[in-house]
Formats: sequence, structure tokens, C-alpha cells
Amino acid sequence: MESASERSCLACAERPERLFCDLSPETLHDFDALKSVTTWARGSTLFREGQPARGIFVLCDGRAKLSVCSESGKNLTLRIAGPGEVLGLSAALAGGSHEITAELLDNAQVATVKRKDLLRFLHEHREACLQVVNLLSQDLHIAYDRVRSLGLGRSRRVRAPRVH
Amino acid sequence: MLSPYGLDIIESCLTCKTRTERLFCDLPAAALQTFESIKYATAYPKGAVLFVEGQAPRGIFVLCKGRVKLSICATDGKTLIVKIADPGEVLGLSATVSGKPYELTAETLDPCQVNFVKREDFLRFLKEHSDACFKVAEQLSEKYNTACHEVRSLGLSHSAGEKLAKLLIELSSKNGEAAKQEPRVKLALTHEEIAQMIGTSRETVTRLFADFKKRQIVQTKGSTLVIRNKTALRMIATNN
Repeated sequence: MESASERSCLACAERPERLFCDLSPETLHDFDALKSVTTWARGSTLFREGQPARGIFVLCDGRAKLSVCSESGKNLTLRIAGPGEVLGLSAALAGGSHEITAELLDNAQVATVKRKDLLRFLHEHREACLQVVNLLSQDLHIAYDRVRSLGLGRSRRVRAPRVH
Repeated sequence: MLSPYGLDIIESCLTCKTRTERLFCDLPAAALQTFESIKYATAYPKGAVLFVEGQAPRGIFVLCKGRVKLSICATDGKTLIVKIADPGEVLGLSATVSGKPYELTAETLDPCQVNFVKREDFLRFLKEHSDACFKVAEQLSEKYNTACHEVRSLGLSHSAGEKLAKLLIELSSKNGEAAKQEPRVKLALTHEEIAQMIGTSRETVTRLFADFKKRQIVQTKGSTLVIRNKTALRMIATNN
């Protein structure tokens, strides 16, 4: 798997299809220099709710489950993220702790960028910043859909027991 | 001077005194100058609807003064309040950026001053000013975090009591009240509105408040709510 960690964004064949990754050559070059790619095993946790945000995670392949958790340990899956998605973005930008937990459902290649580097990168590259704004808008739309279905979608009936 | 709805309208962002305290408005001079030329300062009375869920996005609304209720609505008319927005917040942001319909309904709770920017102008503004773009990303991140919070509270709470206790703790954590032994909350909301914030009925909220008062957990003095027993409230919030 060593060769995989050398993976460059510049040579990535899937890049043009992906919302975030489809950057201009110059921006991409800078992004490539900041990121480091690691192979993660299925079931590993990229970040956990409540942890301080240290950076972002770009899923190069594989899927990740995004969930929220209650104090009593109950889980609620928000959605399943697919290849090309950027995870931990809102926490990295807001500078607080992660609001959700991301757990990998497959063995996956994940590119990480440290928070400090990301902020500098976004300040320097307007194009990437616009992409990020678009991504966040989409995330927000999905989150509001979830709020809608949870808050208004069902009547007051007994909820089915959840499997932990 | 006669002012609309008793509001002291801030006509220019350049001379606004509260600008520096606000996440979005604290822009560098060049960006602020451009923003000033594309925004329209407007005043709305209490109860005015800025935009409706499902409407095609016209632009963004920067809330300068007053509070705005952001809600989503079911087809049967049931309403859920997602958030009460405070001054400095940008409303309609994600819809304006993505071009998808507004996902919330925004209704003013007080007389408000709102600075409106048309969608095309705003998108051009973001392309030209990376600082503004960054601030938008920050605002969206915060909104996303709030939405996740809402999902957690709606999806993982068992009872209405648990949700009400959580809401009261949240409200009392603002304005430096959290550290106090008996935090005070200025509840400028009706029981109906509180019910819509936690996804329950008005009757349940009234019953829960009566119960909390009886158990000496909270006390009301006019529209101010005093949390007498923080520990008990926290116990209810965590379902213990």
C-alpha cells in the first residue's frame, strides 16, 4: 500500500467528476503539496463528535458513515458519504469541535489537510474557497432535510428500538 | 426624526458601529465598499415574512437589528423552528449560493432592519472578494453545526421534557449566564414558539413548565426565567 500513499491529485483520473477536486492546475498543485494521503482500514474513525477539529478529510475512494450520538450513547446516522466528499469541513472552518462522527465503511484512501494549511490555502485561492462554500451549502441542505424528516415527518408514535 | 417601526436605521455599513463585532460584516475596506454599493437597507415590521421555504432564491438578507424566526413547515401546516437568528446573521445564504429553493421560512419576531443583496450581485461579490467568500464559508459552517445539533436533539431525545430541558440549558448558556448559580434566561418566546422549537405541542410545553415550577427547577419573573436547580435540569436533559 506504500505506493498508494504517494498518490498525487494531479494524476488522479477521477478528479474531473468530483465537485471539490476539480480545481484549476495551479490551485490543484498547491493543494497537492498540502495534502497527505493515508490508507485507512474499514471501521476506523476519521473523527469523533466532540473532538477538536484538526483538519479536513477528502475521501478519495470508499464510503464513510456520518452520525450523531447522544449522551447515553445512542447513534443516529445522518448519511453515507461517498468518494470525492470532503469531511470535517464545517468544524475545521468554524474552529470548534466536530459535530458529527465519521466512520469508514470500506478500506479507503483519505487525503488529509491540516486546519492551518487549509485556512491559508482558502485565503490564497478564491476558486477553492468558492468550492468550499458550495459544498457547505449542499451539506446544509441535506442537514435541513434531515431536520425536516425527523421533526415533522412522523407523528407521536413509539419509535422503533435502535440497533447500536 | 420619524423612523420606520421605531427603528434607528443604519443606512451605511461603512459607518456602522456594531460592524466589527459581527462575523460576516467585519470585512476589509475594499470589500465593504463594494458590499455597500450592492445592498439595500430595508425595515420590516414584526411578523413580516422575508422568504418562504420552497421559493426560488432572490438573494441574501443580512440581519442588522431585531430577531428572525427560521422555521420549516410540513404540508399539514405543522411548524418546526430551527433557529432564532440574532443580529449579524446572514439569512438565505445556502439557497442563494447553491441556487436551490430556500429551505427555511424566515419571519421577523421584532421590527427588523435587514440589508438585502440580490443573488447575482452577491455571487459576483463572492467571486471578487475572497475575504467575503471565506466569511460566508464560516457562516455556513456555523449553520451546519446548528443543524447537526438540531438533528441530534430531534432524533435522539426520548421525551419532550428532555428536549425542553436541553433548550433551556442552551438558552441559559448565552450572555455569560452559564457560570452563575442560578442562570437567568430572557424568554421572549411564547409557549407555542417553544413547542415549535422542540417539535411538540403547546399544551405539552405549558404542562412541562408547570411541572418544572412545581419541582422548584425553574421560576418565572415576568418574561425572565430563573433556573433554580441546574443539576436537576441537566439530569432531565441527559435522560437520567
